[in-house]
Order: sequence, then structure tokens, then C-alpha cells
Amino acid sequence: MIQAFLLQSGYNATLVTLGAMALGLATGAVGAFLFLRKRSLVPDAMAHATLPGVGLAFLVMVAFGGEGRFLPGLLLGAGVSSLLGLWVLQGLVRGTRLPEDAAIGIVLSTFYGAGIVLLTYIQGLGAGRQAGLEGFLLGSTAGMLREDVYLIAGGGVLVLAALFCLRRVLVMVAFDPGYARVLGVRPAWVDAALMALVLAVVLLGIRVVGAILVVALLITPAVAARMWTDRVGVMVLISAGIGGAAGFGGAAMSAAVPGLPTGAVIVALVFAGFVISAIFAPKRGLLGYLRRAA
Amino acid sequence: MKHASLISRRSLLASLPALLALPAVSWASDAPKIVATTGMIADAARRISGGDVTALMGPGVDPHSYRQTRSDIAALVRADLVLWHGLRLEAQLVEFMTDLSRRVTVVPVAEAIEKDKLLAWAGYPDHHDPHVWMDPILWLQAVTAVEAALVALSPDRAEAFATNANLYRDEITALDAYARDVLGKVPPEARVLVTAHDAFSYFGRAYGFEVEGIQGISTESEAGLARIGELVDMLVTRKIKAVFVESSVPDRAMRALVEGAAAQGHTVVIGGELFSDAMGFDGTYEGTYPGMIDHNITLIARALGSDAPARGLVGKLAVGGA
Amino acid sequence: MTVALAFDHLSVLYGAVTAVDQVTAEIPMGAMTAIVGPNGAGKSTLLKAALGVVPKASGEARFFGTSLDEARAKVAYMPQRASVDWDFPIRVIDVVLMGMQRALGLLRPVRAADRAFAMDCLARVELTDFAKRQIGALSGGQQQRVFLARALAQRAQLYLLDEPFAGVDAKTEAAIVRVLQGLRDEGAAVVAVHHDLASVPVWFDRVLLLNRRLIAAGPVAAVFTPDALRETYGGALPPLQAA
Repeated sequence: MIQAFLLQSGYNATLVTLGAMALGLATGAVGAFLFLRKRSLVPDAMAHATLPGVGLAFLVMVAFGGEGRFLPGLLLGAGVSSLLGLWVLQGLVRGTRLPEDAAIGIVLSTFYGAGIVLLTYIQGLGAGRQAGLEGFLLGSTAGMLREDVYLIAGGGVLVLAALFCLRRVLVMVAFDPGYARVLGVRPAWVDAALMALVLAVVLLGIRVVGAILVVALLITPAVAARMWTDRVGVMVLISAGIGGAAGFGGAAMSAAVPGLPTGAVIVALVFAGFVISAIFAPKRGLLGYLRRAA
Repeated sequence: MKHASLISRRSLLASLPALLALPAVSWASDAPKIVATTGMIADAARRISGGDVTALMGPGVDPHSYRQTRSDIAALVRADLVLWHGLRLEAQLVEFMTDLSRRVTVVPVAEAIEKDKLLAWAGYPDHHDPHVWMDPILWLQAVTAVEAALVALSPDRAEAFATNANLYRDEITALDAYARDVLGKVPPEARVLVTAHDAFSYFGRAYGFEVEGIQGISTESEAGLARIGELVDMLVTRKIKAVFVESSVPDRAMRALVEGAAAQGHTVVIGGELFSDAMGFDGTYEGTYPGMIDHNITLIARALGSDAPARGLVGKLAVGGA
Repeated sequence: MTVALAFDHLSVLYGAVTAVDQVTAEIPMGAMTAIVGPNGAGKSTLLKAALGVVPKASGEARFFGTSLDEARAKVAYMPQRASVDWDFPIRVIDVVLMGMQRALGLLRPVRAADRAFAMDCLARVELTDFAKRQIGALSGGQQQRVFLARALAQRAQLYLLDEPFAGVDAKTEAAIVRVLQGLRDEGAAVVAVHHDLASVPVWFDRVLLLNRRLIAAGPVAAVFTPDALRETYGGALPPLQAA
């Protein structure tokens, strides 16, 4: 296993490890801002909402005579239906008396159900090469190619760059949106930018850990990071660090040990990071609490 | 090779009168409804009965993860005969079929095969590898089970069924001989079959090939990253020239294998697409069981160094397919 | 007398209820103006509508003769304390730096000079020792002063404060008054929604008496009379200590 951690376990393992690390860094950072904005569950709805888009994109491409498994097309479909889910979510929250978590639950389950119906319908068609659309749900690192790593790493870098540019306004809008409005910073635009970045990492993460698990990468590192510091900047860095380390470590472990599914190991490591933080963080962890009580 | 073609051509010529006579003995408008799960079973049932058989799983459908729809259930419940594979190929349907068998005649055709001829499913001591159709001789027993079920359904047509079934079995036997012939010409060190999942163990046992799948016997288990590394090392060390994708399983993992081997300086090509758990498109030769097996044999043989004919045993394979 | 902020027939509706009714008034530079009135008189709403935080039904608010968008750099706002999450991982100094967002822009890193200025603002509200504390670790009065320091950091010429003295201790109160009067002496316009009538004539130069509509506006000596107060408060006149 040491070899895997030193990136010497072979070409495929190295690719996946680097890709997973890039993904973890990006999702950890985005997740930190989501946490501050108190929108941590929104990506859950958005990730589940990608499924009908994948199915529809497949049907559209096959109708035009294609094979249906053209990846950029499927990701485009995933993105569009995810945005539609977000739009519906915001409409429900603004237009009805529904609390946000109930609206999230509605969007999540309805879109996901529609997606399953579509996939089942596609299965019955016998058209195109449709096997594996469900791989979108759980990810599949065994199939990672060099072009995938370029995409994820490149996308991750762009996301991090965007976050860096927007760091101050993201914090301001999360902390005091009314004040931001008066300063001339429009919370609606900043929120839209954040959601766009969330969508970007969800689409990138679908390939590695799948739509269902990518949410864990967006929530847990931020929660764990919060326990270590009271400074926003430091929190974002720690969150990205935990995500990146879990991505790196999870991929390396699954490369070294047969039978370990990569996505699940990454999520398990992220959770381990949370447990360690909950226990050992100096001020907000269990040990800190016990020491103060003593 | 000549020997094999002679047999098949002769049986084809001999079968012409019978084939022409088929419409005359087909059922009247109140034909019994026969529903099969996999295309391979449906093909056998069609050939033997000469009538219509509904197949639930079309080309490219993966039986390991198949989800039945309401219309499927409706068809199954109204059927006069349900033929399914069994041996946990359609793992989600086991309970449903058990319930259904109380109301409808349900026959798990693969379970008629002699148990001592079955391979084990690694990790599951009570279960067997269900991919039995990959060994044509073994599949004959399932065909016989289909025939028996049809005879039980319509005893007055037993003779016609027997004629059709014998023809079908002859075709399959011819394929087996063809396989031994062309696959026997693959050099011994090249006899490694790398596919997307472990569907080809029976094939490997029958014709002397080592088989390695990226995923295990069921496609429901995720392809492991460690397995990719393992297989890449094997491809490079043993200088394997070709690997194979499957029509019912995504091909990205296979492409990752090719890239991994290339990174170590060894070129592996994708030899072609095999029909593993599903057949080809309806209406084509490859959309029948004999066509499916013919395609697989020819493709594997040609990709690994044998000189099998490009259009297969009876010259009916699609151009460019093998 | 330069006018910092002019309300021109400004009205705000909450559903069918008229919260602010056709208010027309002027806020000059170099003076401290109090906005007083009973509960529900629309005092906070008036400010929020002028700032665009709540929508106007009709009328407008002009800042330094132009729209708010053009004059934003000169306008600072200190909202009521309640709406913030005190567990937010942010320190006092970082809150003050937020006020400098317009000067900092998106990309420029925070330099020593910026930090020094922020510490200056904290010094003016007497919170220098608390600069590195997380905001939840402060008392109510101290939190109020942090938000005042944030407004100061904007280097504005018009300061709009919504109940700056609500629920603060005497020490904080005195500190805030000192700061506000300092701003006025430097020539800025200071407007505060205020609830304690006793302190109005002591601290403020001008007053706006509001009960949904404008009752009176002008210098304290002229306008802050018992008759005007009775009209503003109707029967709900709170006790006055000095009148």
C-alpha cells in the first residue's frame, strides 16, 4: 500500500489518485462556502436531480442516430436537469410556505424517481448502448482515463480559482446578506455563482464517486473543518485539505487492496476525518470540552 | 473447417422442407403466450415452437441489473408459459418467479443442466456461475428443457417440436465443432480472454482459454481499481494482444486497461465487442443464439491470431463485425 | 446646508398595510438626526426602503442628489443586531474589514495599511483588545460596537443607523455617542432610528417625528415639542424625564 501512496502503483492507480485528490480539494472548498451559507443539503437535491437529465440526453442522442453514450452529451443533460431541480427548489421555497429541507426532499425524490422511470424505459427500448447509465449513480474509477483526469483536475483548478476571486463576497453574503446588499454586492448573483460552482463539482464528482456519494464530499469536510478554527480562511483551507487527503488516500487504498470500491472508501475516509475532528479538535472537540469541564 | 461447414450446409439443406412446412403447423390465432427472460432462451423457444415468443430483455440489456416494468409483469402474469434462466442470473426476479409459479407454469431452463457440470461462483459456496450458454454443448441441455416445456404445453405438437429442436441442436453442435477448430489454431500463449466481466468461464473451460474479467460474475459489483492494476500487469507481462468489450457492459474500464498497458509501452487493442449477457439486434443473424456464439468464436479467434473466416461459420456474420 | 439624503414622497406597503406614507424630508450633512416614533411607525422601514433593502411602493430617496447606486461609496449602514449568526467563524477584525469591501475589490490581498485602518476603526469604538476574538465571544454591547466599526471602515459621508443604542450597556452607549458626534464634527451626516426620547435633545441636532407619515422634521429645539410628540405618539406617550 505504501507504493500506492507514493503514486508508484501503476499508471491507472496514479491517474485515479490524482483525479480524486483534485476533486476532493475542489469539493472541500466549495463545501466550506456552502456550509457557511447554510445550504449544505442543496447539492443532495442537485445531484439526485441529474438522473433524469442523463436519461433524456441519452434518448435525444439516440433519436438523432447516435450511440447515446457520448459523455459530454450526458453530462450536459445532467447539468441541465440539475439546474432545473435547483430552479424548482428555489421556486418552492420562495413561492410556498415550505421550509427549505422539505423542498429539498421533494425535489430530490421526485427528480430521482423520474430518472429511474426513464432508465427503466430506456432499458426496455433496446436502442443504443445503454448499459451503464446507472454508473452515474455510484461512479466508477476503474474506468478513469487520462482525459478524465485532465478534465477533473482542470475543472477543479478553475473552481478553486473562481472561489479565490469570490472569497470575500461569498463570506459577506453568507454572514450578512442585507449589509452586502447595501454595499452594492448582490446576494442573488453571489448565490447563483456559488450554485454554479456546486453544479460544476457535482458533475465532476459524478464520474469518480457517483451522484449519491458526492454530497458527502461537499458536507463532511466543511463540518469537520469548522471544529478546528474560528477563522473563515483557515476553515476553507482545512476543508479543502480534508477533501483532498480523503480523495488521495481513498483512491490509493482502493488501488492497493482488491475489492475496495473507490468512492465508498473516499467517503469513509472523509467521515473518519470528521470523527477525528469531533474528538480531537482543541476547542470544539470532545477532548477540548472535557478538558474545560475538568 | 470444411468438416464443420459440410455438416451445417447439409443440415441446412435438409431442413429446408421442414422450414417451409413450418407455417402450416404453426398455431392458430389462439396461440399460447410464451414469455422468456433472456434473448437466448427466447431464440430457442421461437425456433422450436415456430411461433411468437416475447423476450423481456432485449439486445444490450444486462440481466444482472434488469428491472421488470409493469408491462413486463403483466405479460408474465398472463403468460401460458414462462421460461427464465434461473441459477441467479436474473437475481432480482427469484422471489417474483417463485410467487408466479403458483399461478403460471414457470420453468428455469438453466437449472435443468446437470449440476456437476456447473462451475462454482467464487465467494458464494451455494451458487453456480450462471453463464452456461457460453458453452454450446452445455446449453443443449437447456434447449432440451425448453423443448420439454413446450411439449408439456402442447403435447399434440410434440413431433413438430422434436424436428425443430433437433435441427437447432445440430446447428449448435456444429458451432461447437467450429469453435474447437478455429480456436485450436490460437497459439497457446495467446489463449487469454480478457473481458468486462466474468461471463466466459464456461467458454474458457470448453475451449482451453484462461478467462479474466474486470468485474466479477455479476456486473452489480463495482470494478475495482486494484483489479485494473493487476490486469494491466498481466497484459504487459504476458504480451496479450487483444482484450474484448461486451455489448451489455460499459467499456470505459476496458479502455483504461488499454491506456494502462500503453503507459508501460505495450500495445493492446480492443479486439471487438462480444455478446456476453445479451444477443445482437433483433432481425440480424447476431440476434439469434447461433449467431451470437458464431460471432464470439470468430471474433476471439481472429483477434488472438487464428485465421477464422471473417463471415463466420455459415458466412452470415455482419461485415466488419468480426 | 448640503443635503445628504432626501426622501421624496416615499411610501412602503406591507401587503395592504401602509407602513410608510408619503414621507418627504431632508437630512443635512454635519448634523445628527434622530428618527423617532412609536412601535410600528415605520422608522426602520423608512431607512430600509431608502437603501433598497425592502421594496418601495412609490416615491424615491436621493443620496447626495443622485441615486443610491451612484452614491454607494458614500453611504454606510448599521443594521439592527439580531439578524446575524453569532456562531459564524469570523473574527472581529474580519467583520470590520468587510466594511472596506468596496476599496478592496475582489482580488487585492489585504495589506498592512488596510489592517491598520481597520484597527483604527476598532480603536474609535474602544474594541482594540477584541480584534482577534470570534464575534460570538463578545457581549451584546461589544457586538454592537463591532458593527459600528464596520460602518466606520466604509469612510462614508452619510451614516444610517438602525437602533444603534438598543439593549446596550451604559459604557457602550457612551462610546457610541462619542463616535457619532465625532463623525458629525468631521462633517458627515448621521441618522439614527432611536427609541429613547429622553436622550434626543441631549445627543441629537435634528429630529424626524414619524408615525407612518411625517409629523414634523427639523432642529430639535424647534420641532421636539410636547404637542408634536403627542401627535406622534397619540395616546402611547412614553415617560419623558426632561421636556
